[in-house]
Amino acid sequence: MRLGFARFLKILFSSFFIQTSWSFFSLQEMGFLFTLISGAKKEQKDRIIKTHKGFFNTHPYMSSYIAGATVRAYDDEKSSDEEIKKFTTIAQTSFASAGDLLFWNTLRPALLVLSVILALKSGIIGPIVFLVAYNVFHLYHRINGIREGYNRGKEVIYLLKSKRFTTVQKIFEILGAFCSGLLISVISLKVNYLLVIPLAALFMLLLLKRFSSILIIVVAVLLLLIMLIL
Amino acid sequence: MNAIIISIIGAVIILDKYAIGEFGISQPILSGTIIGALFGNIQTGIFLGAMFQLIFLAGLPIGRDIPPDGQAAGIIGCSSYFLLKTSNTAGHALLLAIIFALLGAIVGGILEIVTRRYNEKLYHIFMRRRNSLSICHLAGLLTAFLRGLFLFLCIFAIASTISVPSQFPQISRELFMVISVSIGLANTFYLFIKRSTAIYVILGGLCGLALLAF
Repeated sequence: MRLGFARFLKILFSSFFIQTSWSFFSLQEMGFLFTLISGAKKEQKDRIIKTHKGFFNTHPYMSSYIAGATVRAYDDEKSSDEEIKKFTTIAQTSFASAGDLLFWNTLRPALLVLSVILALKSGIIGPIVFLVAYNVFHLYHRINGIREGYNRGKEVIYLLKSKRFTTVQKIFEILGAFCSGLLISVISLKVNYLLVIPLAALFMLLLLKRFSSILIIVVAVLLLLIMLIL
Repeated sequence: MNAIIISIIGAVIILDKYAIGEFGISQPILSGTIIGALFGNIQTGIFLGAMFQLIFLAGLPIGRDIPPDGQAAGIIGCSSYFLLKTSNTAGHALLLAIIFALLGAIVGGILEIVTRRYNEKLYHIFMRRRNSLSICHLAGLLTAFLRGLFLFLCIFAIASTISVPSQFPQISRELFMVISVSIGLANTFYLFIKRSTAIYVILGGLCGLALLAF
């Protein structure tokens, strides 16, 4: 069974809006339904809306894998509504965890540090490198996720056991660490390290003690004002 | 470029944060570049974007957690600087832009919670009228846009009219760099430094020194 190009495009386009109506009550529920409905056949739509009531939350880029597999489950007509709902419930947490670790925790910050270094050294190249490199990975998961999800069906969840996610994550962890070192030396001529080292240690301590981000911002503003007065 | 136009542009850019696509355009390094280009000073836009990016590197939107709005801070910081600079010195404009940006990040986070609570109403409308999925869902675009517009319009209206006396404290780019690099380094160490990756930090440092030497 193959997913037609028109249906694929509809799912892909609507998946860009998965978080549009994010709310604390249903999380991405309406966005996920919107994605499924756009790729569903006419006779499946009512059944999909009835089955997927409640809430849904996963990593936005990884939602493509789940959407592809769910559309396949409805096309196959082999699974009951309860089985499909059970699959989405399990898959959303698994893909959320993998996506958060890969994109939010590793890939995006690593590429952002790299782009900041490039921006400070070569100007416009930094933002362009980030935009291109980040979206290569982002769109790969959006596009390939639908195809893989549809081709593998509910088995798509076993993709998380493969090394493709962990290997990329490790590569970007190394890139992030490398860029941390690079940042220290590249800006060494521009800033006074007698100030940077104690301040970085203070902020590091606040982060490790898991103080709220708001408190860290307040500390930054206060430090700025103290430095100006001194 | 006046406050209203830049607020509308900012509100469109901030849609990328979660409402459309999440391509990374709303990240401060990119929004700073766009805003700098609009104001005809791309280099300053990139510099300010890069500095705000370092400050908001580790704001991870995991699960239901909503951290301070780093993307809004980038847009506010860069735009406010250019708006303030028309009637203030560069040092005064930079100090006020930083304060506006950091406060804007906190207010932006609060407004995001309000917006998402409003989206709950859209969900309840959809639950009552099952055929209204597309309208209710895409109305989220409007709530996200209005959140950005309200936040930016309030701050940019102040930024475009404020004129501080000369005895008001000023900040240099170097001092701003010290603060943002300190937070940036703390963020990168927090995210990436483990026993297994420590060697790559040293390697990166050595490569950077080689780059400076040659």
